Amino acid sequence: MKCWRGFKEGNWNNNIDVSDFIKKNYTPYTDGPEFLSGTTERTDRVLARVEELLIEENKKGGVLSVDTDHVSSLLTFRPGYIIKEDDIIVGLQTDEPLKRAVNPFAGYRNAVQACKAYGYEIGENVKDEFKYRTTHNTGVFRVYTDTMKKARHVGVLTGLPDAYARGRIIGDYRRIALYGMNYLIEQRKLDKQRISERDMSAETIQLLEDIERQLEFMAQLIQMAAEYGCDISRPAENAREAVQWLYFGYLGAVKEQNGAANSIGRISAFIDIYIKRDLDEGTLDESGAQELIDDLVLKMRLVRHLRTPEYNDLFAGDPVWVTCSLAGMGEDKRPMVTKTCYRFLQTLYNLGPSAEPNITVLWSEGLPQEFKKFCAKVSIDTDSIQYENDDVMRKDFGDDYAIACCVSAMKTGKQMQFFGARCNLAKVLLMALNGGRDEIYGEQVAPEGKVFDEGAPLDYEEVVGAFKEYASWMAKLYVNTMNVIHYMHDRYAYERLMMALHDVEPERLMAFGISGLSVLADSLSAIKYAKVTPVKDERGMIVDFKTEGDFPKYGNDDDRADEIAKWITEFFYSELCKTKTYRGAKHTLSILTITSNVVYGKKTGSTPDGRHAGEPFAPGANPMHGRDKEGALASLNSVAKICYDCCQDGISNTFSITPETLGTDENDRTEKLVAVLDGYFAQSAHHLNVNVLNRQKLIDAMNDPTLYPSLTIRVSGYAVNFNKLTRDKQLEVISRTFHEKM
Amino acid sequence: MKGYIHSFESLAALDGEGVRYGVFMQGCPLRCVYCHNPDTWCSGGNSFSSEELVKKVSRYKSYFGKNGGVTFSGGEPLVQAAFIKDTVQHLKVAGINYAIDTSGAAGLSEDAKCVLRDAQLVILDLKFWDDESYKKYTGGSMLAVLNTLDFLESIKKRVWVRTVVVPGINDSEECLEKYLELLKGKKCVEKYELLGFHTMGFFKYENLGIKNPLKDIKPLPAEALTRLQKFVDKRFKRSLG
Repeated sequence: MKCWRGFKEGNWNNNIDVSDFIKKNYTPYTDGPEFLSGTTERTDRVLARVEELLIEENKKGGVLSVDTDHVSSLLTFRPGYIIKEDDIIVGLQTDEPLKRAVNPFAGYRNAVQACKAYGYEIGENVKDEFKYRTTHNTGVFRVYTDTMKKARHVGVLTGLPDAYARGRIIGDYRRIALYGMNYLIEQRKLDKQRISERDMSAETIQLLEDIERQLEFMAQLIQMAAEYGCDISRPAENAREAVQWLYFGYLGAVKEQNGAANSIGRISAFIDIYIKRDLDEGTLDESGAQELIDDLVLKMRLVRHLRTPEYNDLFAGDPVWVTCSLAGMGEDKRPMVTKTCYRFLQTLYNLGPSAEPNITVLWSEGLPQEFKKFCAKVSIDTDSIQYENDDVMRKDFGDDYAIACCVSAMKTGKQMQFFGARCNLAKVLLMALNGGRDEIYGEQVAPEGKVFDEGAPLDYEEVVGAFKEYASWMAKLYVNTMNVIHYMHDRYAYERLMMALHDVEPERLMAFGISGLSVLADSLSAIKYAKVTPVKDERGMIVDFKTEGDFPKYGNDDDRADEIAKWITEFFYSELCKTKTYRGAKHTLSILTITSNVVYGKKTGSTPDGRHAGEPFAPGANPMHGRDKEGALASLNSVAKICYDCCQDGISNTFSITPETLGTDENDRTEKLVAVLDGYFAQSAHHLNVNVLNRQKLIDAMNDPTLYPSLTIRVSGYAVNFNKLTRDKQLEVISRTFHEKM
Repeated sequence: MKGYIHSFESLAALDGEGVRYGVFMQGCPLRCVYCHNPDTWCSGGNSFSSEELVKKVSRYKSYFGKNGGVTFSGGEPLVQAAFIKDTVQHLKVAGINYAIDTSGAAGLSEDAKCVLRDAQLVILDLKFWDDESYKKYTGGSMLAVLNTLDFLESIKKRVWVRTVVVPGINDSEECLEKYLELLKGKKCVEKYELLGFHTMGFFKYENLGIKNPLKDIKPLPAEALTRLQKFVDKRFKRSLG
């Protein structure tokens, strides 16, 4: 076949097996960045147009325009372009760049409110259509129990995807380029035949209906591409087509779904094979290769969804999480670093720093030194990349997994995730002390239990006993709530296209989350090592604590506190595993808050660690701001103790350091950052966001956003444009620990 | 053996090569007017055994790579030379390098010599340029510092020299010439770094109720530091030859 000319054969010729194709054909690259190209004139023109549009969008309060008459889907908009004659990789979500579409499948009320927030009203035809349609949100609330509603209302379970789409599913978009849609459709029809032989249980019936829905959208995707003049029914024949076909798959997915995170997967080695073939055949040069990646990345930077202000509180800065996983090691010990990994990193220079795509380097001890240094340099220059430990993830996920959202690993095309936001465990502690009542609303949320006494110091063993009881109750409620949500999401907002680009019966992961880990660990440490006396209000609720004496704090590499944090995650995970999940999903757990640590803090009363009611939590698994007293590495060592085996959905840590503290000059800083990353990950730590910048720069940017229009910082598993954050989030970021020299 | 330690900084990236773990020892014989750590002056405080310290430091081994390691600073680390000697014997077994950041004013006991001899690098704080200025601004003796420098030269130790530049005291090229004169012919010196005076430690004087003799002095502007460093770099190369 012309499209597969020159490729080494393997199992991928007989079955859908992209990973095998990559391993048989990719070329590791171990040298430095010298070969890279800058922008072409064409890229400069398109970039200039994009920058104009972004300024315009910003001026309009963050939303350029909304089409309220069409529901977002694969074929509801005519083709759109940035500059028609200049776009190399084509395709936009709507007919104009940055114009947002309405997507009410997950929740109609949410869509209405999102329009309203920006001064729009939903079109009559959309209103009519959704009058007779059940959305995911409606389905969920038909089944939610009173307790589930209460837990949600008081904020002990928050951010649940019950009114918006769940996201965190990665289609294997590479399959389209390698095989063409016709082959994928044929294969899926064979799957259907095979499954039809089974007895018609509820599971089989559901699966058969899923497949039919997938087939419908696979056909639509071919048509969508045809409207852009491309025939994706056949495989891609060159690098441009490979990038384009793959992007069409992603584009179809974000037209259909507005899930919280829509990640692109692990595509660099795959694309590199096509680029290298074109380079070898002399039909492409380096500048042309870079141009392809630049254009793809520009498209990724323009993906938008219409969100409500409440949603933005949880996930600030308008993120899409077009997470793009680079590097890692092959199971055959060859680094999966290719020149195209470099080309993706180079976009941060060619197109400027940016929050999207969420560039994630899969770090391994075995990565080429030159590549490590280049990553560190890009981090120092742009604050736009994050690192995750390939050496720990490869053990569980093999060498063709990708990261969805911030820190969630999944085998590409073979695993999907039921996203589950997080449970506020600091609040569970307060609930345990108050006999199951919520400390703010006073409502009885959990079963009634003993209210701890005022005026007497808390006894550690007794508190831990009560906490365990309530956390166990909470875990059961949490799993059951998630089961309701994902049952309804599958039913009313199923990801037809993304799931078409998975194996027909993928493994499912159900991803639970913890927020308030450091607050809880320090609170228990205070109770154990200092003297903590509860203070009650007129309702008889414990609303404050008198904490006397010092106590060990999480973040100082002090086992006394760190072991508590470690225990909490292990205990909560084992409790979650006791309740059965929908569709037999495997339980996983993350310690990741995105930017919701501010909201969770607002909804939580004073805690025994000395944190006042309403104050933000630390993000993810970070120690609380200002409590890490022994510097950056001690803080990293504490986080590294949290065990990945029970937190396979990721342990997020965000690290900010001033350039002057890291080293004397660029070269010194680069080498030291590589050493820090190597040292952290050698301890089986999972994730690190790296910011190298001065607090003063952020303060200046907050006071005058025009000073640094593209100032990008890593927050919690993703990057944001600092200027897109609300003031209270900006203040919270500024208040975080910056490791700086004295 | 017990040593007294003021504090730890797990990423003291500037105090030597590679990633450094900073151990700030308690106690100092000098009373420098510009000191930003007056809380390290008196002796006593938190005590650690050599074993405890080595255990703590070993937790950072994965970051050190080939170049990194521990830096003993202070305070004046060589005041507790015997403790450091005991500790570094254990560090050696653990395969961890160390550097010493000293004023050179504590004198050269046998223990101190031993500790300096085995160090990967010595950072020598050359505070003032002659007896009179040294006495006036630090209360210590310049002779001890020069002896230390001579000793380091004699054992061919790798040395980085540092000077804190304080506005109105030593922030002129003429003044820095005098420092350079002292380094003339010292082949052991690899690098001469200037550090700008800053006021971030001022709050400690207030907390401790100690009179701060420089409370009205402003920090050295970054541009001035860059200019003076350039001047020193040019001269320093010449004086080495």
